[in-house]
Formats: sequence, structure tokens, C-alpha cells
Amino acid sequence: MTRHTRILMSCIYWAFALYLLLPLALMMLMGFKDARFIGFPITSWTLDWYIGVFADRQVMFTFGYSTLIAILSTAIALVVGTWIAVTLTGRAFFGRAVILGLTLLPAVIPGVISAIAFRIYARVLGIEPGMWAIIWSHAVHNVPFVVLVVMARLSTLPRSQAEAARDLGADPLVVFFRITMPYLTPAMIGAGVFCMLLSFDDFVRSYFLGGYDPTLPVLIFAKLRSGMSPEVNAISTVVLVLTAVLGIWAERSMRRIKKQANR
Amino acid sequence: MTQRTDPVARIEGVTKSFGKTIALHQMNLQIASGEFVTFLGPSGCGKSTTLRILGGFETPDTGRIILNGQDVTALPPNRRKVNMVFQDYALFPHMTTRRNIAFGLELKGLSRRAIDARIDELAAFLQLADYLDRRPDQLSGGQRQRVALARALAPDPEMLLLDEPLGALDAKLRTQVQIELKNIQRRTNKAFFFVTHDQEEALTMSDRIVVMNQGRIEQDGTPEELYFRPASRFVAEFIGETNLLEATFRGIEGDAAVIDWLGNPLRCNPAGQGFAPGAAVTASVRPERIAVSADRPATENAVEARIVTSIFKGSRYLLELAVNGTRVSAYADSPVAADQGASVWLGWSRSSISLIGD
Repeated sequence: MTRHTRILMSCIYWAFALYLLLPLALMMLMGFKDARFIGFPITSWTLDWYIGVFADRQVMFTFGYSTLIAILSTAIALVVGTWIAVTLTGRAFFGRAVILGLTLLPAVIPGVISAIAFRIYARVLGIEPGMWAIIWSHAVHNVPFVVLVVMARLSTLPRSQAEAARDLGADPLVVFFRITMPYLTPAMIGAGVFCMLLSFDDFVRSYFLGGYDPTLPVLIFAKLRSGMSPEVNAISTVVLVLTAVLGIWAERSMRRIKKQANR
Repeated sequence: MTQRTDPVARIEGVTKSFGKTIALHQMNLQIASGEFVTFLGPSGCGKSTTLRILGGFETPDTGRIILNGQDVTALPPNRRKVNMVFQDYALFPHMTTRRNIAFGLELKGLSRRAIDARIDELAAFLQLADYLDRRPDQLSGGQRQRVALARALAPDPEMLLLDEPLGALDAKLRTQVQIELKNIQRRTNKAFFFVTHDQEEALTMSDRIVVMNQGRIEQDGTPEELYFRPASRFVAEFIGETNLLEATFRGIEGDAAVIDWLGNPLRCNPAGQGFAPGAAVTASVRPERIAVSADRPATENAVEARIVTSIFKGSRYLLELAVNGTRVSAYADSPVAADQGASVWLGWSRSSISLIGD
């Protein structure tokens, strides 16, 4: 690579980074504006909007509600997804490709369509709109991501690991819990955090399947309809910071565990 | 070789194929307890398949596996009293040395105290006491190999299976570990079933070597038998270096069999297999069995040769010679006649020749 291309490449990179980060920076900045409306110029600054976020009981309740939905739907997706991944990675059997295809389908169906389908299905099954309906739809949507991540990890597990355990007297169940599961831990942490973020972020499914209590994205949407105020910016910034911290923590701990387990 | 007790393992008429490839043809074999048996052969000869069938990781198409008098052909690996040392060791990466060794003992349902006692015993035996709390990624190759051995020995198996466990070690460490492994085998007095493609390794450690080729046993015998009396061209070429002399069988004269090689009559021990006069035979003569001298030697067989090259090998000289245009190699202790083109005499006794039918 010549010097010119290198400079050009780094310019393009920084331009792209700026393009991505500028709106986020603006959003954070507006949360400090001491006025009811968003926009420049900012004549005076305040922390009131941020303090308001933590003082607002509805926002705090909704935050907890969304977190609970994220945790429960992720737990279900992890169990089901790992189960499917392990089944599909074992011996070849008839219909394996079909099962894999069906498993991955929820990831590619447009959100609105799957949300409507869930709504209809929930009515047929008699599931009330509300927390469990949302958890159910999030879990189904997240299973494909768990399957993909866990299968990728599983494909790097040497066959001799399970064989050595069998050789030393373990039956298949013991092999799974004492050898396979520990090996999959980093993949499951990664997939889990990703699922939690997907669930926390989801608007369409939560909107269509929600009951009286809104999830955080639905609440923000409702607030936006009554006009853009710096309050929304403050809420969004808090969410952004928390999710970024969670994401970075997951990435780091995944790398640490993998390093241990890879030799 | 003495047969110590009843066989610990019997392979009876085992055939195994993978798709169209036949990995094993009708194999029959017995392994005595306390015996160090090596399966030697090139890759794809069926040696690893035999090992995996003994361990229970593959099911034979036909035939039976008998362990200590019990037919185990249908039993899964966890219900067979044999343990395996894997080629990549397959140590559990998330467990310390102690936990790795304890794995098989815990599954046997031993008490905590009995497990600890067994671990301490093995750690002392295999010099692992200082590494019990380390994980595999904190161990060297040689240490990992010993942990794998300790883990496999821990449940006190009737037989130990070793699948090329020295392949990952560097050359220097390898020689050391070979001797160590042989000593461990003697002290535990268990049957070791060792698989390798390295003939030197096989010669160093084994009580008995089974040479395999294309799913069949080529020869089964002690290292000395295989080295000095190879049953086939394949065995002669696979084990050590040798000169294969293409000769014609002339007949029995007195107590010796005489063959004709490039117009030189050579006297050898009469082989078990009878050759018809005029039949083509191959005679295997090991280079180190050939004496090189300036004058005609007093040995039974003497042939005149010309030196082509002389290569200094440290402890001795490797000579490449020509006998009527045919290449022969031999060793010399000192550069007696190292001049290129010099004429020398090669001599060897009749017991240095082994006849192989083609």
C-alpha cells in the first residue's frame, strides 16, 4: 500500500466514524440543554433532564420491566438455541438441513410481519398481550442467533474431548455438562448479551404484543409523539451508555474465557 | 518371547470399512497382559482404526473384541476397562491437572479420600506433583503428555491404548520420553497398545511389533525378528535402512542356500519358504552388517565394489558403493578407503542376509 492510499483510507475511515458518531454526540449534548425544545443554539446548560430520568418513577419502572423481559427471553433462547445447536452438530440425520433452515427463519423475517403473526397466533392460543407474550416473541426471534454462535463454537471443539471423557467413564449426559457446556460458556455469554440487547432494543414486537405497561422503546416512542424534548435525549443517553458498557464487558470476558479454554 | 498369562485382549476376525475403503481385513490378534505391543505402519494402514475399535469408538463390521474373556464388541467406551492416551492428549482445558486426573476416578464413584490418594500416587510416579494446580495451557508439551498418561492410568485400566502420543514432542524430548514410557510400562506391568508410524520409536519401546499395511498384518514379531528377518519387502523397507539385492535362487549347497547376485554367489541361511532354482528372490542386507576392507575379507560372502561417495556422519562414515553399477550402502568406522573411485571389498556373514520372496 502506498503512502497516499494509506492517508486516503484513514480519511475515509474517520469520515465514516464521524458520520456514525456525530448524531449520537448531538443526542447526548441536547440532553444538557436548558430548554424545552431540541435545537441549536444552546444558550444555557443543565443537568436537570438527566436527574429527571432517575427521578421519574415511570421511566425507572419501564427500565426494570424491559430488563426483566430481556433476561427471561434470553434465558429461554439460550436453552432452546443451545439444545438445537448441539442436536444439529451431532450425527447427520434425515431432515437436518430443513430443521436448520426453519431454526434460522425467525432471524430473517421482517419484524412487522413476525409481530403481526405473533399477535394473531397469541390470540388463537389465548395468550394475553403483556409480559409473557413479549418474552415469548423475543425468545423465538433470538433463538437463531444463539444457534449460529453456539454452532460456530461447537465446530471448533475437538472430537477427542468428548471421546476422552467417554473413555474415562462418562455417559453422553455427563459429557455434555462437564465438557461441552464449559467449552461453550464464552459463546453462550456472547450470544446471551447479544440477545439481551436485541430484546431491550426491540420496538415492533413489544408494541404489537404489549399490554398496558410499555417497554422502554415503546415509552420513548410515546414521549416522542408528545413532542421532542431533551428528556428523551437524556433517557436515550443513559440507555446508550449502559448497553455500551454491557457490550464491552461481554466482549472482554468472552475473550478472557476463550483464551483459557483454547489450549 | 514368553507368554506371561492369558491374553488381556483378543481381536477375532475383525473387518471394518469406511464407505468403499476397507480399513481392516479379517484381523486376528492377541495381546498378553504386561506386553508392550506396537502397531506400526504408514498412515491409512488401519492401525488407528484397530485402536479405536479396541477403545469402543468404532464398531467393527464383523468379528469380536474380547477383553479379559468378556465380549465387549457392543459396549460403549465408558463401559470398557481400557483407557486411551490421545494424539492431541485431549486434556480438558478448563480443568487443572488434578481435576483432569480425578475425572475418571470421580466417575468410578470413589471417595474423595481415595481419589486424592490415587492422584498423589500418580503425581509422584509421573513427577507431576508441582503441576497439579495448573491448567493445560500452563504446561509444556512433555508435562501435558504425562498428565494425559496419568489421567488414563488413574482408573487402573486393564490395558492402555496410546495413539501416537509422542508425535507432538520435539525430537530430543521424544527419545527421552520413549525410554520413560517404556519404564512406566514395565513398572505398571499393564498391556500397552501403542500406535505409531515411526519405526525407530517402535524398535525402542516394544516387546512386540505388529507391522500393518493396507488393513492387513504384514508381520508380527519382536523388534529383532522384524529387523533381521523381515517377512516381506514392505517390512524390510519400512524398518530401518537396508540394501535390497535382486538375486536369483541357485539351490541348496550343503547347509547353505546359495543365491546369485550380479554374478556373485552369496551364501545365506536356508529360508523356511522353499524357492525353486532359478526363482527371483530379494535379499535384504543391513548396511551396518557389511564390513568394508581394502583386502578380500575372510567372510563367507565377499564382493568387490567401488566407492562412489563417502559421507561423514559423526560417529561413522556412510559409504555409497557400486557393485557392477548397482548401488549399495555400508558404514565404515574410519576413513580407511574413503577415496572416491577406490576399489574395496565388502564382506558379510550368511546370517546377515534375509531372503524375501516376491
